[in-house]
Amino acid sequence: MSLDYARNDWYAVALAGHMGPGITRNTQLLGTPIRISGTADAPRVTDDTGAERPAVIRYDHVWTTLGDTPRPLFDITEADEPDRRFVPCGAVRVRCSPLRAVENFLDIAHFPFVHTDILGAEPHTEVAPYKVEIRDDVDEVWATQIGFYQPQAAKSATEAITTQYEYRVPAPTSAVLYKTCPPRPEAWDVIAIFVQPVSPEECIVWPWMALIDETSHFADLVQFQQEIFLQDRSILENQLPVRLPLDPRMEIPTRSDMTSVAYRRWLKKKGAFYGALTEAA
Amino acid sequence: MTSYPVGLTRDLAENRVMRAQAGGVDMVVWRNSKGALAAWNNRCPHRGMRLSHGFVRGDRLACLYHGWHYGQNGQCAYVPAHPELDPPASIKTQTYAVSEVAGVIWVAPTDAQEAIETPAIAAGLEPLRSITASASEAAITTASLQTAFSGSDLPQAGANGLLHLGERQIALICNQIDATSTQVHVLIDASAALSDRRAVSRWCDALRRAAETMTEESA
Repeated sequence: MSLDYARNDWYAVALAGHMGPGITRNTQLLGTPIRISGTADAPRVTDDTGAERPAVIRYDHVWTTLGDTPRPLFDITEADEPDRRFVPCGAVRVRCSPLRAVENFLDIAHFPFVHTDILGAEPHTEVAPYKVEIRDDVDEVWATQIGFYQPQAAKSATEAITTQYEYRVPAPTSAVLYKTCPPRPEAWDVIAIFVQPVSPEECIVWPWMALIDETSHFADLVQFQQEIFLQDRSILENQLPVRLPLDPRMEIPTRSDMTSVAYRRWLKKKGAFYGALTEAA
Repeated sequence: MTSYPVGLTRDLAENRVMRAQAGGVDMVVWRNSKGALAAWNNRCPHRGMRLSHGFVRGDRLACLYHGWHYGQNGQCAYVPAHPELDPPASIKTQTYAVSEVAGVIWVAPTDAQEAIETPAIAAGLEPLRSITASASEAAITTASLQTAFSGSDLPQAGANGLLHLGERQIALICNQIDATSTQVHVLIDASAALSDRRAVSRWCDALRRAAETMTEESA
């Protein structure tokens, strides 16, 4: 039942830059073993029966779907802007629900405690009111008008700034963050996570960035983001229950959790239950 | 209500936090600056984070994830994202009964207000050390009678759960965590000299190996 919805979404399952003749990657998607092979020009994905699955390259990753009537892969328009640097950050394997990984990405209140002195710092813990909506026309969750004090908002930041954030959830296991770009305040840096659901309780997070940053070394950009995600992993592997509870009685939100509340409500409305707990435990 | 020995008093200092397992319940046990203990379900009511990863600040336990503070009674007292907010009474951890007897911390997965019953422990004992063995409590008990002390005599079981190791008297206080994992808190008579304590400590290591071998062979 929970698989029905999930099968018809697209998932990042490999880095395009790691494709090449003779290279195969064996992994698992929604509990199904899959194999990725071919090249970045002609990627191939096969499932455990040997059947060919669709395979496309987008946002520097190989994407596939297990469904027969997949919804279209969401668009990130910044991916087509020539002056951006595209930074696939590798894979972070986490023993948690793919939905918990997305929800954590949408949360700013944890920055001072989990990403101390990078994305936040005490005593600057307050989360000011912001706007959240489920945009029915595009079927996405959006959170806007978010501002947060950050000691080092990005690799390119030279001083603490109050960063502006917008979050977008275009699919249950993907989220896109638009945030103030320190060297060019009128533009947005784009940071996304594409979460590959290995099982309802395990996932691989593929972070990807489209930045305006002409000076930082690629390895430093990846390192900066990897450090953030490893800090998140120490949280994600210690949340109970492992699956994301959709029953509002199981976990108590506060005002700063408006995005998470909308995300859970949206999942529930869509029936996107893979990785969720739908009844009170 | 059955109580479970989860640690030694001296291993949980002021302002410290530990994780405990009690009859299948994942708990956090922590001590404030005045020495008072609290035992709760190991789960922040906000987003389910294990509170045993948290930190003590100002006599409250703070969750590592969003820094929410909980007072001794389990009541949420502070939400950093909204410093002006008076947290509603509904934000409260599940609290459990806890006490300290014979230098051992005991918890029971029952309401914090209920009296906690601990087994009788012979007078004059004090904690020596705790070990965790990949063995059942039954294997520990059996192995304790088959593991020679100081390379010679086998221990003798005495009254009140005492075990005689030569001249020394000890008690093994067990907390079985699952089928193949048991915490053992070792108490020794307070008059034991340092050399005896070292000898008993070495015996504990032999006991653990014997119990683990027994468990492996029966698996």
